[in-house]
Amino acid sequence: MNPLTSALWERRPQHGLRIVDAHAHAGPYSLFFIPEAGPAGMVRVMDRCGVAHAVLSSHLAIQLDAAAGNAATAAVVDHAPDRFTGYLTVNPWQDPVGEIEKWGDDPRFGGIKLHPDLHIYPLTGPRYAPVWEFAQRTGCPVLTHTYDGSAYNDLPMVEETATRYPDAVILAGHAGATPLGFDTAIEVAQRHSGVVLEVCGSYNTGADLARMVREVGPRQVVFGSDFPFIDLRMSLGRVVFSDLSDDARAAVLGGTMTDLLQWRDRTRQARSSQVIAP
Amino acid sequence: MSSRGHVLIDADAMLGRHPARDVGAGTVAEALAGMDRFGISEALVGHMLSWLHDPRTGNRALLELVADQPRLHPCWVMLPDTCGEMGTPAEFVTAALEGGVRAVRAYPVDHGYDLAGVDAAPVLDTVAEAGLPLLLDAAQTTWPQVEAISAARPHLTIVVGGLGYRVLRQAAGVLARTENVHLGLANLSSHCGLEWLVERFGEKRLVFGTGAPTRDPAEAVTRLLWSELGDGAVAAIGAGNLRSLLREKARVA
Repeated sequence: MNPLTSALWERRPQHGLRIVDAHAHAGPYSLFFIPEAGPAGMVRVMDRCGVAHAVLSSHLAIQLDAAAGNAATAAVVDHAPDRFTGYLTVNPWQDPVGEIEKWGDDPRFGGIKLHPDLHIYPLTGPRYAPVWEFAQRTGCPVLTHTYDGSAYNDLPMVEETATRYPDAVILAGHAGATPLGFDTAIEVAQRHSGVVLEVCGSYNTGADLARMVREVGPRQVVFGSDFPFIDLRMSLGRVVFSDLSDDARAAVLGGTMTDLLQWRDRTRQARSSQVIAP
Repeated sequence: MSSRGHVLIDADAMLGRHPARDVGAGTVAEALAGMDRFGISEALVGHMLSWLHDPRTGNRALLELVADQPRLHPCWVMLPDTCGEMGTPAEFVTAALEGGVRAVRAYPVDHGYDLAGVDAAPVLDTVAEAGLPLLLDAAQTTWPQVEAISAARPHLTIVVGGLGYRVLRQAAGVLARTENVHLGLANLSSHCGLEWLVERFGEKRLVFGTGAPTRDPAEAVTRLLWSELGDGAVAAIGAGNLRSLLREKARVA
């Protein structure tokens, strides 16, 4: 029994690890009813389990309107700035350059979110070029939806993007989403160190997760839940019970994502060392 | 109570291999080891053979596998009697009760029949008369079908599992209009959905289940124990409700 399962069995929040949810949303969604989809309910669930932080994009942003949705994401971050960081949603049909210019320097946003399946536009398409150029230049991580067999965000398209932009950090959301997708996602991550597998979804198991960590290492696998689309505790439970070393579990649950979110600090440090260099 | 402090009885588990998922050999030993890993004391189990090959063969094989396993309780798979595959409904139910079967599961989509139609009615009537709960996976039926068979048989206990995160609008309506429909925890994954359902319909309408081995039991265990529900509700959902349903039905039988 690890300290997390001990806390679970005692029905108390865990406080031993900094847990960061790398894949979250906020707000209602048209296709189904979500109880308590706003930030207050989300923070309550995080507190119940002992999740420190979540990186999120509003459902409005991914489903309908990037401009209004990014403002909604910023408002959620404002609700609890110490608990949330935003993903800037870029919809290739809704002024990608303008959205990056508007929000790219806003500290409320720590990453970029793409959803090619919802926006019916291929991950490798030219309308996404401003995103990848920004990510390549800054180190800002980009979370993209992936799904095995998709015409818009299958794993070979992640690989093509990683080849074109080798310095970009690409979080492969759902890690391919299906058992077959997990296999392909692992192979892509093994060939590209900038590809990080994010593990939420309906078909993942703790065994799949442990295999990902064995095959690509704990620095290329991150916990995400997709809440409040899906309850946070589904994905969290898989990681809590999975067969990982303590160090690997700490990296997957939060260590790696915490590091990835420090890209602005790294950019600042790089600039400052250039200034003082003789 | 287990050493971990909470009794969990899994109403949604399966033995046997799966043709399209890496779930191991599905042996009794593996099932018990998995239950121990997640602190699950007992399980109502079906057999993949009954689902994905031949219900008659699978049902018989299941009884042999769990014959000396006090932690594993058999759940058979029903079919309509239109082709006489399981004998008459009375013969099917009599054999089930004699074998110690505790519940019946139906796969109308995968087995090609209409759960709410006239073909399945005789066996459903007989299952209801015998007091055996009917377990369903949401993907195998529709909510109108669930409501129809519930309304036609008010004494039939129905547990619908495998809900996912997209069903609350439909499930809530059926729960509001029925008293004998319950929801299983396997993949009950709406954000705060468990708490919302308990607040709205009461804890007695929920039954713990994992969907093992195709689903990771970690999901249901974590969902329940890290829920915002009180310990009493967790105890009822974790074990008490299923025990009551099985006891009540046994008394009826």
